[in-house]
Amino acid sequence: MQALVLLLTGAALLHISLFTDLYLRYVKEDLRPLLIISAATLTLLGTVAAALDGFPFTKPQAMTVQTADTGHGNDQRQGHAHDHTRAPRVAWLLFAPALLLLLAAPPPLGAYTAARDSRDGGGADTAGPGEDTPPFGPLPDESPARLSLTEFHLRARQQEGRTLRSHPVRMTGLVTPSGDPRSWDLARIVIACCAADSRTVTVRMNGAPTPPADTWVTVTGTLRDNPAGGPRDNRPTLNVSSLRPTPAPPNPYMDSAPPAGSSTAG
Amino acid sequence: MAVAAGAAAVVAVMLAVVRELPSAAGALLTHPGFLAWQTVGVSVVVQALPFLLLGTVLSGAINAFVPSHVLARSLPRRPALAVPVAGVAGAVLPGCECASVPVAGSLIRRGVTSAAALTFLLSAPAVNPVVLTATAMAFPGRPEMVFARFLASLATSMIMGWLWLRFGRAEWLRLPERAAGQHPARGRWAEFRLSFQHDLLHAGGFLVLGALAAATFNVTVPRSVLDTFADSTWTAVVFLALLAIVLSICSEADAFVAASLTGFSPTARLVFMVVGPMVDLKLIALQSGTFGRAFALRFSAATTVTALLCGVLTGWWLL
Repeated sequence: MQALVLLLTGAALLHISLFTDLYLRYVKEDLRPLLIISAATLTLLGTVAAALDGFPFTKPQAMTVQTADTGHGNDQRQGHAHDHTRAPRVAWLLFAPALLLLLAAPPPLGAYTAARDSRDGGGADTAGPGEDTPPFGPLPDESPARLSLTEFHLRARQQEGRTLRSHPVRMTGLVTPSGDPRSWDLARIVIACCAADSRTVTVRMNGAPTPPADTWVTVTGTLRDNPAGGPRDNRPTLNVSSLRPTPAPPNPYMDSAPPAGSSTAG
Repeated sequence: MAVAAGAAAVVAVMLAVVRELPSAAGALLTHPGFLAWQTVGVSVVVQALPFLLLGTVLSGAINAFVPSHVLARSLPRRPALAVPVAGVAGAVLPGCECASVPVAGSLIRRGVTSAAALTFLLSAPAVNPVVLTATAMAFPGRPEMVFARFLASLATSMIMGWLWLRFGRAEWLRLPERAAGQHPARGRWAEFRLSFQHDLLHAGGFLVLGALAAATFNVTVPRSVLDTFADSTWTAVVFLALLAIVLSICSEADAFVAASLTGFSPTARLVFMVVGPMVDLKLIALQSGTFGRAFALRFSAATTVTALLCGVLTGWWLL
C-alpha cells in the first residue's frame, strides 16, 4: 500500500506539473521545477518500494528488526514493534488529494472567492503593497492603454486618478457579482504563495449589462470621475465603452495587461 | 486494503461525474464554495510537498548516515548553550516549516538534546535566508521589518528552548517507536529509504489534515471580518496571531500577506510573521503526528504566547 500511495502522489504531481499546466491553479509558476523534482522522487521511491517490498501488498518480512533497549513504555503496538513494512494509517489521507488531482482537478479560484474577498468595498488592501509606490508617469501613447487591474487601482488612487482622466484603458479580468444588481466587478485574484493566501483586486464596472459570472472578459473604458456608491465604497469605477469575452489565461492568478493587438469587437 | 483504495477511487470518480449532474446532490457537490475549499486544500498540499520531501530526505539521512559522534560534537555540551547555537543553525534549512518537524524528530531520536532540537524546529522556518529575502521584498524600503522579524523569531525559539530545559519533561515527547541509529542487520541505504519513506507518508498524511482545516477556515470565514479588528492595538495583535495560525501560510509567503494587511499596525503584522512559521494548523497536525497530541497542543500554546510577547516587544522597540 505504501508503494501505491507514493506512486499515485508522484503521478498526480507529474500530471499537474509536467504534462499539463494545472499546477498554475494552485501554486505559483516558479514552483514548477521543485514540483517536477518532487514528483520524480516520489515515483522513484514508490518504484523501489514496489520492487523491494512487494506490490500492491507488502511481502511478509522475513526479518523484523527488534531493539528491545529503546524503552517505549507508552507504545501500544508491541506486537510488530519496529516493523517498517506497516504504513502509518494517517498516510491513507494522501490518497484524497492524489486521486482528486488525477481524476477531477479542482478548478482555479473564481468569482465566488473574488466576491467574498471584496464584499466590503475593497479598502486599502486590495491595491496590494502600494503604500510606497513611486508616482506614475503619464500613460503610454497608445489608445486605449492596456493596464493590469493593479496598475489601474494604483493610478486611480494617486492624485485622484490624474493620469487616467479621460484616457481610455483596456483591462482583462474575471466577471464577479458585486452585490449590487445594477453593476458588476472586474476582478483579478492574486496569490503570493499558493491559492490559500489569495487577495482580490477589483474594479467596479458601470454602464454595461452584467456578463455571466466567472467568465473572463476584456473591457475598454474610462475612469469614472465620482466614485459610485456610499461613502464606504471608494472602489475605482470604470465607465465601460465596450467589452468582449476572452479565453481564460493559463495562469489565472497573474494580474497582467491584455496582450497587444487584442481588439474589442464593437 | 485494496478495497479501501478502490473505495477512495470510486469517491473521486463520483466527484468528477457528479459535477455534470443537474440534480440537487449535484448542486451541492458543485457548489462553488465546496470547489473553492477543494482548491485551497489541494494547493496547500501541493505547495508544501516539495519542502516536506526535503525535510524527510534530511531526516532520513540524519537517521541513517550521520555518525553519532558527529552529532554529539556539533553542539556545545551544555544544553543551555546548545539552545542558542541551534537557533542560529536554523538559518541553514531553507524552506517552509514542513521540513523542520521531521528533521527535529530525527535529531531527537539520534540523541540531540530535545531543547536544542525544538529550538531548531522553531527557528529554521523563520530565520533562513529565503524567508528573510522574501520579507525584504514584501516590505521594500523598510529593512527594520526584516531585522525585527529575525530578532523576534530567534528570541522566541531560544526562549522556548530554555523553557523546555527548565520545565519540559521527557515523557511529554511521545515519539512513535522507531529504531534509532544504524542497524547492523540492514544496510545504510535500506535504513535511509525506509525511514525516509515512513516519515514522508506519516508527515504527508498529517499535512493533508492540516490543509483541510486551513481550507475550511479559508472558505467559511469572510475577509470582511478582518476590518473589524484592525483598530484597537491589542485586539489587532492577538487577532493577527490567531489569523496566522489559522491561515497556515508557508513562511516564505507570509510576508507578502502581512504586507497586504495595510489596515494593521507594523507591530501587529510583525506578530503575524513571527507566529505563523512557528504555530499553525499544518504544524500542529505535523507535531501531533511526530511528538504526540498532548505535546503539540502544549507546545503550540506556549509558543504562541512567547511569539506574541517577543513580537510585541521587538515591534515596540524597533518599529
